[in-house]
Amino acid sequence: MSAPTQKNSPAFFAVIVLLVIMSVGPVILMFVNSFKLDVDIISGTSGLIFMPTIQNYETALCDVLWYEPEPLDFCALKFGGAFKNSLIIALISTALTLVIGSMAAYALVRFRFMGRDTVSATTLMVRMVPPAVLLVPVFGLWNNEFCLDRDGLIGGAIRDMFGGRGDVCLAGTHTGIIVIYVAMNLPFVIWILQSFIVQVPRSLEEAARVDGAGPFQVFFKVVLPLIKPGLAAAAIFTFRIAWNEYLLASALSDRNTKTVPILIVNNMSEFNVEWGVIMATGMLLAIPPIIFTLFASRQIITGMTAGAVKG
Amino acid sequence: MPQIRLERMVKRYGAVEVLHGIDLEMQDNEFTVLVGPSGCGKSTTLRMIAGLEDVSSGEIYVDGKPVKHLEPKDRDLAMVFQDYALYPHMNVAQNISFALRLQKRPKSEIDAKVRDVAGMVGLTDFLGRKPGALSGGQRQRVAMARALAKDSGIFLFDEPLSNLDAKLRGQMRAELALMSQRVEKNMIYVTHDQIEAMTLADRIVVMHGGYIQQQGTPEELFKRPVNKFVAGFLGMPPMNFLDGRIEDKGGALFVTGDGFSLRLSPEKAAIARMAQNPDVILGIRPSDLSYAPEAAPETALTLKVMVSEYIGAQSVLMCQCGGQSVTVEMNSETPMALGETLQFEANAARIHLFDKTSEQAI
Repeated sequence: MSAPTQKNSPAFFAVIVLLVIMSVGPVILMFVNSFKLDVDIISGTSGLIFMPTIQNYETALCDVLWYEPEPLDFCALKFGGAFKNSLIIALISTALTLVIGSMAAYALVRFRFMGRDTVSATTLMVRMVPPAVLLVPVFGLWNNEFCLDRDGLIGGAIRDMFGGRGDVCLAGTHTGIIVIYVAMNLPFVIWILQSFIVQVPRSLEEAARVDGAGPFQVFFKVVLPLIKPGLAAAAIFTFRIAWNEYLLASALSDRNTKTVPILIVNNMSEFNVEWGVIMATGMLLAIPPIIFTLFASRQIITGMTAGAVKG
Repeated sequence: MPQIRLERMVKRYGAVEVLHGIDLEMQDNEFTVLVGPSGCGKSTTLRMIAGLEDVSSGEIYVDGKPVKHLEPKDRDLAMVFQDYALYPHMNVAQNISFALRLQKRPKSEIDAKVRDVAGMVGLTDFLGRKPGALSGGQRQRVAMARALAKDSGIFLFDEPLSNLDAKLRGQMRAELALMSQRVEKNMIYVTHDQIEAMTLADRIVVMHGGYIQQQGTPEELFKRPVNKFVAGFLGMPPMNFLDGRIEDKGGALFVTGDGFSLRLSPEKAAIARMAQNPDVILGIRPSDLSYAPEAAPETALTLKVMVSEYIGAQSVLMCQCGGQSVTVEMNSETPMALGETLQFEANAARIHLFDKTSEQAI
């Protein structure tokens, strides 16, 4: 009947163990397999006993290592480059999403304008559109419409500087991917931040206005610091999606702008699946989001507005 | 120090008009208290002066210059909010210096000012703390210090003491009174507490239902209320009101009602003779009734004592006079038996008469 008896029941523990296995199991499997040779990975039970090797990591990281890994005669994987692309795209799209999202959320909460409720509801509905639906039109637009003529002033200058053929298009650039990620994540971020901004006492903003702050100072010096937990939550969410996204990046990136998830899939060909390298790259892929989350989650502390106003 | 003038100031929320043309002047270096029950428009008036609410019509002048269109930051005023509104992510020193930092004053000047102001309100030891780590009274002081640091000529208070407990409120009230003597500013203070209003104000403005009822010094308002509302609002325990009629009995005027018949003093009678309507409301403050067993019946009320509330030096008696209830405030040393019917002499010079329909003083 009481809560403690329920917690101590064997069934409760069984459920907990099951959940832990389900969530941690694949990660452990990936971790273990990343130190095996492909032969060991696909050999079933006999592969349980194996000699750990860092060969997979050497292959995955061949373009950033200072030495040339022995069994490899050609470095086909450009992990370093892809990692840099992933970082640039994920960080910039996260930053942009937060800046635009927090301002939009503030406006939706605090300003009175016609159609405010409609706008607020529609932002979330946009989120319901599956990214796959966006893929085809966005691919077409990025490749054919959003282009600068190569004979034009700016397009020509870019072509002169970076070389290449054809018009200068959004497709295949970091910007192209960042823009679509921002668009994809904004609705949810706006929605999350609205609930945080509502909690900022109005009298704080009024006090700041009386103290001599303009609208932007009120926003940046008073409102923004107080919704830090919300910003952190939104940042974790946005970064994770941008970092892991595969579908849109696979269509919109080119050889030089591809991200790590796409690199992983490149290890599969019709003749061979390099499981060991896939696992090793997967492990490496998981590190930045973990670091980012640890850093960002420190900002999620409750009671940010404690002491602002009475009761 | 600036002088503020409100001219036919109106506030409408949609179709609802909450302030019906307020005309008010606040002089240099004066402590003005706007007082009234909740919803009377006093806070709205203050917020309109601060620029936090739009003025629907009318104008606000500061030193003769219209300021209606100005942002709060351009109006040279400081404000203390009811809920303190401290910036929770800044410590006490940063809270106090926020306005100065926005003005980009030199750091040495800011530091000196913060120390100065913090000393004034007794916060010197707490400058490094966040508001969350302060008690209610200390937060109140921070809010006060923040407003003081701004050095503006107009100082607005929006019920600053209403969130404190009774003892602290008394203490802060005294400190406020002291501070208002020291700093020469035009202070406007909003409260629903008539004791705060009476103790702090140079001038009280009583508001009710979006209109100014009366303004004047605390003494004027207490002694010569212009209508029944002001008379009942100021003073604790509140004034007794008894329905009665003015009757002429052999040349002398009497106020007669259910269970009493009081003779009016010649001065009052002279005024009462001019009244159109013989139906009046008699107002007597509880402190203007005194126990007098031998008093003449035409100067006294005969009351049945129902309940006696002992509050120390004074006792408050809840009595019945005919069908109407009357409170009497008296020395608690006088023995008083409940249920007895006794005579209480009314101070004839201090009774008030109000017209029954218009409720204006006669």
